Amino acid sequence: MNISRWFKTIHIRRISQICFLFLFLFLFRKTDYPGREIIGYPVNLFFCWNPFIALSVMLITQTLMIIFIPVLFVIGLTLIFGRVFCSWICPMGCLLDIFQRLLSAKPEKKVAFPEINNHIMIVSLIAALFGLQLAGYVDPFAILFRGLAFVIDPVLNISVTGFFDYLYLNGPEWFSAVSEPVYQFLKKTLLPYQRTIFVSTGISFVILFSVFLLEMIERRFWCKKMCPLGALLSFISRFSMFRRFPKKLCTTCESCEPHCRMGAFGDQGHHFDSQCSRCLECYQICPQDRVKFTFKLFHKKGMSLNISRRHFVGSTIFGAALPFINAVDAQHKIPHPYLLRPPGALKEKQFQDVCIRCGECMKVCITNALQPTLFETGWTGLFSPRLIPRLGYCEFNCNLCGQVCPTGAIQRLSRDQKHHTVIGKAVFDKNRCLPYAKHTPCIVCEEHCPVYNKAIQYETVFVKDKNGQNIEIKQPYVVEDRCIGCGICENKCPLPGESAIRVRRERLGSHLNY
Amino acid sequence: MDRREFLQQFSMVSAGAIMAAPIFNIIPPVLAKIVQPNLSVGIDKDYKTLVKKTLAPLGGMDAFVKKGDRVVVKPNIGWDRTPEQAANTHPQVVKAIVELALTSGASKVQVFDRTCNSDRLCYTNSGIQNALASINDSRVVCEFIDKRKFIPVAIKKGKSLNEWSFYKDALAADCYINVPVAKHHRLAGLTLGLKNVMGIIGGERGRLHTNIGQYLADLCTVIKPDLTVIDATRILLNNGPQGGNLSDVKTIHTLIATTDVVAADAYATTLFGKKPEDISSTKAAYAMSLGEMQLNQMNIIKA
Repeated sequence: MNISRWFKTIHIRRISQICFLFLFLFLFRKTDYPGREIIGYPVNLFFCWNPFIALSVMLITQTLMIIFIPVLFVIGLTLIFGRVFCSWICPMGCLLDIFQRLLSAKPEKKVAFPEINNHIMIVSLIAALFGLQLAGYVDPFAILFRGLAFVIDPVLNISVTGFFDYLYLNGPEWFSAVSEPVYQFLKKTLLPYQRTIFVSTGISFVILFSVFLLEMIERRFWCKKMCPLGALLSFISRFSMFRRFPKKLCTTCESCEPHCRMGAFGDQGHHFDSQCSRCLECYQICPQDRVKFTFKLFHKKGMSLNISRRHFVGSTIFGAALPFINAVDAQHKIPHPYLLRPPGALKEKQFQDVCIRCGECMKVCITNALQPTLFETGWTGLFSPRLIPRLGYCEFNCNLCGQVCPTGAIQRLSRDQKHHTVIGKAVFDKNRCLPYAKHTPCIVCEEHCPVYNKAIQYETVFVKDKNGQNIEIKQPYVVEDRCIGCGICENKCPLPGESAIRVRRERLGSHLNY
Repeated sequence: MDRREFLQQFSMVSAGAIMAAPIFNIIPPVLAKIVQPNLSVGIDKDYKTLVKKTLAPLGGMDAFVKKGDRVVVKPNIGWDRTPEQAANTHPQVVKAIVELALTSGASKVQVFDRTCNSDRLCYTNSGIQNALASINDSRVVCEFIDKRKFIPVAIKKGKSLNEWSFYKDALAADCYINVPVAKHHRLAGLTLGLKNVMGIIGGERGRLHTNIGQYLADLCTVIKPDLTVIDATRILLNNGPQGGNLSDVKTIHTLIATTDVVAADAYATTLFGKKPEDISSTKAAYAMSLGEMQLNQMNIIKA
């Protein structure tokens, strides 16, 4: 084998894959408080240059959005080279390739499972057109990011820190002298700053894990048969200039066919350029040196969408029906009273439209307050962010979630705007609050209230203590006009279990404007 | 506090000699009779000079930090607020104290606080982390609180608390310098030197607010600062302990230094037009002979 040829093809591609995987993981790690006000890295890049997400969001808002300008790069790349994104850039594809190599039993046969990637794409795009955002549930980066942020990263962190903590707390002192510098080094470099916990991590894990499990059935099963981003890229690549020659399997050889990760060869050995991710593996292994990839400016026949007319119409109707199924969900009439959205979030209906459930805001939240919603706002609210004050509160000066949101569902707020952004209103439970219920001094909530002139005030009253003595006590109350609902009062309330002051959602009532 | 005894106990535990969950007994040498404390008050616009000037009547930093000492400087970094907002100790005051400790030959100067807001935001926006980084000396360590270092301590002299967890590094220090900021606090009246102990204790601190004066006094039987420097360069008069409005802040360029934390607190109340007995923790600590509260019993030196 010619060495220069060997190096040119497969290794360059693998290096590219690994580089982009590292870029993805690097940006993931940088999705955190940077020690100054502005993050300064395009941490949401993989969502901003994602044409599927961009199209879905722009269809639902029916506006052109500047934030998605990086999409032009991916589209341009695809128009020239075809679906190279899948084999050269996509971090999910890279991880699947790595996973495939780790499998002991390689899947041999092709399974008869139909390709539903076009269906998934059409259903979610049409649903978006009619006002329902589903992109985040099927987009590979959203699935990957959520899995990493909610499960993989916290689990890795807790197992590493737990190991070193155990050594530190239970091991002999001389051992800490060795283990602690290693630990501190890891903390500064690889590990996230803080331990995070998330609601129902299992769901996100199962979804991500399933994508990997599919790899045991068939190589790149997800990419070939399910990925809506891949389907869209494959549609864009219909005019691509960089194509394989010959257009069919050579009947005498066919040795490249089993190497094709994307299953680009049809039943009659026809090579589908729209399936091909230009991994160049066939070029590398061809014993006859017959396979070439060449540029040709115009093709007589563009490739059509790989879906039958019947299926196309069916998917369209299904996609159009879903928003209406959502609209008649009674959950929207009775909004969850304690479901708080991040600061700067759009109005509820609009927010649910534009939010792609990528998990960036929940990853970046400095107090771990933002958590994935389950079914509190109906089935279409799944994985959208909500603030749970008992787990963490909204930092007064922090605007990180608005900085990382790739779609503007959470608006970027200046510090001053943030100070006046209302996400809810605090309400006391006087049956439990210590100064009311037990005549005991407390007002920890007042101490922590970050509003400059304090949204929690108190009244000094004389009450009887347990011995019947008259004592002076400070009983707190909320000044509703000042309260921004940051939830620090609920977070810091010293009562065990549920707090005696809770932040309620401010805008109650139906939020659907159909 | 008997540092040697504490370290002995601690090494016993970490060597596995004591298997049960340890509770440390630390009994500070509480004075039977309060000695008339020296209290130095300085005013200067340049905070580096101010610190030096205020410490001079007490014998300068050399009187507290010996060569090779491990020093802990405990400022208030509790809130995500800027220096002008007067919720945290002024970064230049902290820096000046740390520099003096280094000059006196400290082998290590640790600066930390258990914050109320997110630690990274507090350390950054208070300006203290940057101020210390600008010293550029590897002996200065400005670290976030490490939760593993809280260890349970029996409070033998406590009236209403008999056990609480304390930060190991603060207990083990050769010299513990308490550098609170003087400011308004609705529940406690003012937050001063005694309340600064909140930053080195573990546990659910909110619980302590039900009887804050006595609890603080009890906690201070465990750890008695070798030196207390109250930062009153600017004081927060209202909406404490966080403030925010610059109109609540009064700039007076003042520093109070003494070995007696109760005396420091008592004197600081006068800056707010209050009396020492208005602050429940000062009163409780005085009642337990932890320090002097009567202003006429102090040797007040205007530096």
